[in-house]
Amino acid sequence: MLETLGLYPSWYVPVIGSAWVMGIIGTIHVLASHTSVGASWLFALIETKAVRENKPELMEYIKKYGVFLLVFSYIIGSITGPGIWYAITVASPKGVGGLIHNFVWVWAAEWVYFTVEVIGVYALVYLIGKIDPKTHLKLTWTFALASWATMLLIVGILSFMMWPGNESWYQTGSTLDAFFNLNFFAHLGLRTAFMFAIAGAVGGILAATMKDKEVRIEITRFLSKMGIAGVFLGLIMWMWYVQTLPENARIIMQTQLPSYIAPTLFAVLAATLIYFAWSAWKPLQLKQGFAVAMTAIIAIAGLWPEERSRESIRKPYVAGQYIYSNQTIARDVEGKQIKSNLPQIAEHGVLKTHPFTPVSLREVTETNRLQAGEFIAKVMCANCHSMENTGLRPMPQKLHGSTDVAMIKAYLGGALYNGTVPYMPRIPLPEFEQQLVAEYLASLSQPQAAMKQLTLAESR
Amino acid sequence: MELTANETVAATLQVLRDPAGIPSHPVVFQVLMVFTWVFHMLFVNITLGSALLSLYAFQHRQNRHWNQLSQGMTKAAKVSVSMLIVLGVAPLLFTQVIYDPQWYSSNVLSAAWAIGFIFTLILGYSSWFVFYFKNHDGVKNSAIWWGIFGLAMFVLDGFIMHVLSYQALLPEQWLSWYSADGQADMSGTGLHAYQPGRFLFFMAMSITVLGAFLSAYAHYYKVREDKEHHYLTFVNRLGRKFTFAGLLMQSVTFVWWLFDLPEHLQALQSPLSWGILLFMAVFAAIIKGKQSREMPASYFSLAMAFGLIALIGIFREALRIHYMLPFDYDITDYKVMEDIPSTALFFMTLIGVGGLVGGFFLTAIYKAGRTQGMYQASKQVSQLGSAAVGIMIGWIAVFFLTGIWVWLHNV
Ligand code: HEC
Ligand code: HEM
Repeated sequence: MLETLGLYPSWYVPVIGSAWVMGIIGTIHVLASHTSVGASWLFALIETKAVRENKPELMEYIKKYGVFLLVFSYIIGSITGPGIWYAITVASPKGVGGLIHNFVWVWAAEWVYFTVEVIGVYALVYLIGKIDPKTHLKLTWTFALASWATMLLIVGILSFMMWPGNESWYQTGSTLDAFFNLNFFAHLGLRTAFMFAIAGAVGGILAATMKDKEVRIEITRFLSKMGIAGVFLGLIMWMWYVQTLPENARIIMQTQLPSYIAPTLFAVLAATLIYFAWSAWKPLQLKQGFAVAMTAIIAIAGLWPEERSRESIRKPYVAGQYIYSNQTIARDVEGKQIKSNLPQIAEHGVLKTHPFTPVSLREVTETNRLQAGEFIAKVMCANCHSMENTGLRPMPQKLHGSTDVAMIKAYLGGALYNGTVPYMPRIPLPEFEQQLVAEYLASLSQPQAAMKQLTLAESR
Repeated sequence: MELTANETVAATLQVLRDPAGIPSHPVVFQVLMVFTWVFHMLFVNITLGSALLSLYAFQHRQNRHWNQLSQGMTKAAKVSVSMLIVLGVAPLLFTQVIYDPQWYSSNVLSAAWAIGFIFTLILGYSSWFVFYFKNHDGVKNSAIWWGIFGLAMFVLDGFIMHVLSYQALLPEQWLSWYSADGQADMSGTGLHAYQPGRFLFFMAMSITVLGAFLSAYAHYYKVREDKEHHYLTFVNRLGRKFTFAGLLMQSVTFVWWLFDLPEHLQALQSPLSWGILLFMAVFAAIIKGKQSREMPASYFSLAMAFGLIALIGIFREALRIHYMLPFDYDITDYKVMEDIPSTALFFMTLIGVGGLVGGFFLTAIYKAGRTQGMYQASKQVSQLGSAAVGIMIGWIAVFFLTGIWVWLHNV
C-alpha cells in the first residue's frame, strides 16, 4: 500500500466557491470586531472626560452606544468570529489546522481575553449609574486595553497567513519567530487605525439620536476627530504595510488585482474624510441615516474589496507560505519537521494518494475517466476556480472555452507542473493524471468533445 | 501487502494529523478541552432551560410572578447565549489540536451545516434579542413567536453540534458518506449520523440545570429588599421541581444512550456509567428530601449540576478514547514540538488577566447586582480595579518588548 497524503475531503460550493463564503463572513466579522475595539477606546476617552470635567450627561451616550454594541458587535461579532474559523475549516481544513497547530497557545490566550471581554461589556453597560464613577472608569479602561489586546494577538496570526515575515521560522519553528516581524507591526498599525475610523462612523449612528444638544455637538466633534486621525494614520500604515509584504504578494498586487479596486478604495477614503470633516463643522446636521450610509459604504465598498484583495494576494498559499490553498504542503519546514507533499504527488498522483478517493475511482477505467478527472480537478483547483461558467475565476473562461485536450494538458504539464505561475500552486500531476484532468476540463466547455474523447479512447 | 479495513482507517487518521505537531504534551490539551467544555455545556443548558421557561411563563403572565419570571428568564437566556459562545470557542480550539483528523473530516463532510450553524445562530440570537426588547409589561401575545423562533434555532444548532461531534467518532464510515454513487459528494449537505439517546440526554440536562439555576437565582436575590420574598420562594420551589424532573428524564435518556453504544465499548460494564447513574439518583434523592422539608434556596443544586456536567464531560471523552481504540488512535503519540514561550503566554494570561481582570469584572457585577441603588466600591474592590488596569498595561508592555526583541534578533 502506498503512503497516503494528509488531504481531507473537499467542500465544493457551486458558482461562488467556498472562498466567497469565507469572504462574506470575514467582512461582517471585521466590521463588527473593529467597531467594538474602536468603540471601547472611545468609551474610555469619553468617560475620562466625563469624570474629569464632571459631565455625567456624557455617560448617556456611552450607555446608548454600549447597548447598540452589545446587539450589533457582540451578537454578530462573537458568532462570526468562530464563523470565520468554521468557514476556513470547511474551505481549507489543512490551512486552519496549520494555523492552530502553530498558534494554539496564542489563540488560547486570545480566548481568555475574549471571555473576559464578554463579561466586561455587560459590566460596562449595565453598571453605568449602579457603581461609583471612579470604579466604573477603571472598568472601562481595563475593557479598552483588553479589547485591544485581542487585536494584538489575532493580527499576529493573520499576518502569518500572509507570511512568517522572514526565513527564521522555517528553521526554528518557534511561535515567537512566526509571530513577530515588521509585517505584523505594520498590519497591527493598519488595523488599529481602521478601528478608530470605523468606530467613529458607527458612533455617529448613536450620536445623532442624542437629545441634549450640547452633548450631541461635543460627541459628534469628538467622533470626527477620532475618525480623521484614524484615516490619516491608516494611510501611513498602509504605505508601510505594502513595503512589508513578500515579493510574490507584491507582484500579484501589481498585476492581478481587478482594476476597480484601487480607485474604489480611494473614493471611499475621500468620502470618509469629507464625511468626518463635514460632521465636525456642522455636527447638528449629522443625521442617523447619513451615519448608517457611511458605515455601509465603508463596509461594502471599502472592507469587502480590501478583504478580498488580502485574500488574493496571499495566493497561492493559505498560511505561512508553506500550505497551499488546495491543502497540499508546498515546501519542507525543517523547524517543524514538515515535509513537502509535492514529490509524492509527482510520483504517484492524486487518485492513489488521496485518502478520500472514492473506491470506484481508485482504478481508472474507460467508463470512469471523466469522473476521475473531475475528482482530481476539484481537489486541486476548485478552491480557487469555479467549474461553472460564472463565479470565482471560472475555469472554462480561464481556459478561453478551450476544448483542446492536448493544449490543456500541455499547460498542466508545463506551467502548473513546474510552478511558474506566481499566483498558482505548483501542481505536479503525473502524465496520466494530466490527461484525465485535461479531458475533464475540456469537457466543461463542450460536453460533446468529452464524449468524443471517450469514444476515441475506447477505440484505442 | 493488503491492509485490513481498520488499518487503512488508522493510517488515514495518522496522515491527517497536522504535520506541524503540537506545542505541549497532548494530555494538557485534553484536560483543557474537557474542562472548558464543561463550562460550555453549563451555559448551553442554562440557555435552553431558561429560554424554554421564559416562553412557558410568558403564556401565564397574567399572574405577576410568572410575568416577572418570564422577563427575568428572557434576560438570563440572552446573557447566557453570549457565554455559551465564548465558552464554546475553547473546546473548539483544543479539540482541533488533538483530534484534528476527526473534527475536520466531520465538519467538511457536513460543511453546509457547519456554515448553516453560524447563520442560524445569528438569526436565532437576533430573534431572541427582539423577544427580549419586546418582553416588558403590556407586551402583545404575538411577541412569543420571536422567542419560539430563537429557541428553535438554538435547538437546531445544538443538534448540528451533536451531529458534528458524533460523526467525528465514526471514521470507518467517512469514505462511504463522501462517495455517493461512486463519485465524490463535495456538497457537504448531508447529515450522516446522529444518536437520539445522546442528543436527548443533553437536552434533558437543560431541565436539571434550569432547576439548579433557579434555586441559585432565588438565593442570589435574597438580600435585595426590592425582590419580594414570595416571588423568590416561588422561584425556588419551581427550581427544585425542575431539577427533579430533569434528573428523571436524564436517567431514561442516559440508559438509552448506553444501549445505543457499540458492543465493543462495554459501556454497560463501565464503573463510570454506573457512577453517573448513581450520582443522578443521589442528587434526585436529596432534592426530593429537601422539598418535603422546605429547605431554603442555595447554590447547592448548581454545584451538584456542575459536578454532573463534569462527570459527563469525562464520560464523553472516555467514550471518544474507546471509539478510537480499534483504529489505534492515541493522542499521546501525537508529535510534540515543544514551544515554551507561547505556552507561558497562555498560562500567564490565564492567571494574570483571567484572574485579575475577569475577577474584577465578576466581582463588580456580583456586588452591584446585590446592592439596591448605587454600589460604592469597597477598598478591596477598588484595589482590584487598579490592579486590573495595571496588569493590562504590564501585559501590553511585555508583549511589545518581546516583539521588538524578536524582530531585532531576526534582522
Ligand atoms: C491557490 C489558488 C489556485 C489554484 C489551487 C489554482 N489556480 Fe488557476 N489561477 C489562480 C489565480 C489567482 C489565477 C489568476 C486569475 C485571474 O487572472 O483572474 C489563475 C489563473 C488560471 C488560468 C488562466 C491562465 C493564467 O495563467 O492566468 C488557468 C488556465 C488556471 N488558472 C488553471 C488552473 C488549474 C487547471 C488548476 C488546478 C490544476 C488551478 N488553476 C488551480 C489561482 C489558482
Ligand atoms: C445555541 C448554540 C449551541 C448549542 C445548543 C450547543 C450545544 C452543544 C451540545 C449539545 C454539544 C454536545 C454534543 C455531543 O456531544 O453530542 C456541544 C458540543 C460542543 N460545542 Fe456547542 N452548542 C452551541 C454553540 C456552540 C458554539 C458557538 C461553539 C463554538 C464557538 C460550540 C462549540 C462546541 C464544541 C467544541 C463542542 C465539543 C465538540 C467535541 O468535543 O467534539 N458550540 N454543543
